Amino acid sequence: MSAELEDQVTELLQFLYACPVGLAELSADGTIGMVNPLAMQLLLSIASDGLVTNFFRVIESYSPELRHVITAFEAPHGTVCEAHRIFVHAGGKNGGADPLVLACTLVKLDDQRFIASLTDISKQMVQERRLKQAETWFATLLDSVNDFAVVSLDRHGIIDGANAAAAKQIGFTQDAMMNRPLDTLDTPENGSSSYSAHEQIAIAQRDGWHLAEGWRKRPNGERYWCQRLVAARSEDDDSHPRMISGYTVILRDVTKKGSDSAKLKEMLTTDHLTGACNRAHFFEVAERQRLRCSLQGQPLALIAIDIDHFKQVNDGYGHATGDAALEAVATTCKALLRTNDTFARLGGEEFAVLLPSTDMAAAVRLAERLRTAIGALSIQAGEKALTITASFGCAVSTDSKPSLSELLAAADALLYVAKRKGRNRVEPNDCFAESLADGGFDGFAMAADHPSGRTDRGIYQ
Amino acid sequence: MHGFEEISLATLSSMPSDTLDRLPYGVIGLSSDGMVQIYNATESKLAGLPAARVLGGNFFHNVAQCMNNFMVAQRFIDEPEIDTVIDFVLTLRMRPTPVKLRLLQSETVALHFVLILRTS
Repeated sequence: MSAELEDQVTELLQFLYACPVGLAELSADGTIGMVNPLAMQLLLSIASDGLVTNFFRVIESYSPELRHVITAFEAPHGTVCEAHRIFVHAGGKNGGADPLVLACTLVKLDDQRFIASLTDISKQMVQERRLKQAETWFATLLDSVNDFAVVSLDRHGIIDGANAAAAKQIGFTQDAMMNRPLDTLDTPENGSSSYSAHEQIAIAQRDGWHLAEGWRKRPNGERYWCQRLVAARSEDDDSHPRMISGYTVILRDVTKKGSDSAKLKEMLTTDHLTGACNRAHFFEVAERQRLRCSLQGQPLALIAIDIDHFKQVNDGYGHATGDAALEAVATTCKALLRTNDTFARLGGEEFAVLLPSTDMAAAVRLAERLRTAIGALSIQAGEKALTITASFGCAVSTDSKPSLSELLAAADALLYVAKRKGRNRVEPNDCFAESLADGGFDGFAMAADHPSGRTDRGIYQ
Repeated sequence: MHGFEEISLATLSSMPSDTLDRLPYGVIGLSSDGMVQIYNATESKLAGLPAARVLGGNFFHNVAQCMNNFMVAQRFIDEPEIDTVIDFVLTLRMRPTPVKLRLLQSETVALHFVLILRTS
């Protein structure tokens, strides 16, 4: 090679080594041919087994929908996806440095070659989400200026004014609302995952405003989906710049005309195949539930679920059968949960159930019910009917107040114990197993017990 | 004596550069702020970069972003004394390459070292 050419090669290598975007060249099955250091760094931080040889394998557990996107792409070449968001929440190995959201662009060069770019967009995402929320909200607000409800709060969060629309929407007279805290009138449904007024005020104090939504019940029993914006009012005076003098709250009933926003909300929060809550939304809900349970001194249970030998179902009977199995499992599990429990698909064949105010005994009982129900399913695969099983790991947050990723890691570790012990079983954590051995718990009863200290709705039946 | 797993920090930091160049594994010596002070011929060949292009630059930013994480770069910040060998995958000339890394650091020696041995 001539010296000039050699210099050029060196410059190219340096360029790629220092490139602030991850780049990888892939074969059709995802095997990585070429990869630059940043792509390797990002993939290493999310690879569950620390092994990075196949791009699709690493991504699959975070973004199962990408497989559909690739197989659905029939053109001989072109952009398969652009800045497709992959919610990884690797949280743990690298602590705060771990990426939360990656943007992936995938270009098909021919049947055998793909090029992928990867960028860590965690920071932009947080910003963007807030902006988008605000933009959508204010746009719809302008369309329906006549019927929005306004409530004014003093700096302690006590109502000091309300318009007629607010009285109509909340279901109390304007006079009855005065001098009361907002939460006593406009209360999110018991145990729901939406924010209380108190929580929203705390955030508005810090960030200037906060938008939340959730189900509400009027005094007459009517239920509606409410969007609530809390904005801090500040009065600058010379000695105390940006002193908060009170809050303006805007309430919107979006049940009636909300079909578009309901559809959008569903797209953003659910897994398109199974209808389960998606990974991104799960982490959002779970973090809120964790904070709330921890504040209220209530336990929070998390069950990690993985379908046994799922790869064999996919390989032996095709992805369509695999998908049917996933759908059946999701439908079955959701039917056995309470409205405030969260059922999510975290990746490929991995699901999680989040149970607020639930102790280990109740979590294990529920897991056993789910296990039995999944075992009784019959999945149609052409002429044949398949049966499947699943393994379960149950973890409960305790006084030590673990972080969400610690709780998930504990449930995951127990799930793998269940797998090692032969699958199709529920694995509670050690201290609970000990109390079982002491006779502290009389077996995995199937009785419809409810966790203590909460309003039950009889959903475990 | 000068094997990948045996060679000591003291030997590395006092070794003349032509001897370093003959070692069968890559040797990178870094100052406390991560600047490349030593870059031997084996490493230069593996990575496809002449030493002159790398010396004096920030290693974890310019050349080895894949090591800029809790497994390598962060350990040099967190642990004053390190002598450990780990399995790793580097992207030498953009090819995923399984390697063994030996990380060496001591409070008594100014430079810290990353040694790189290809395992396939």
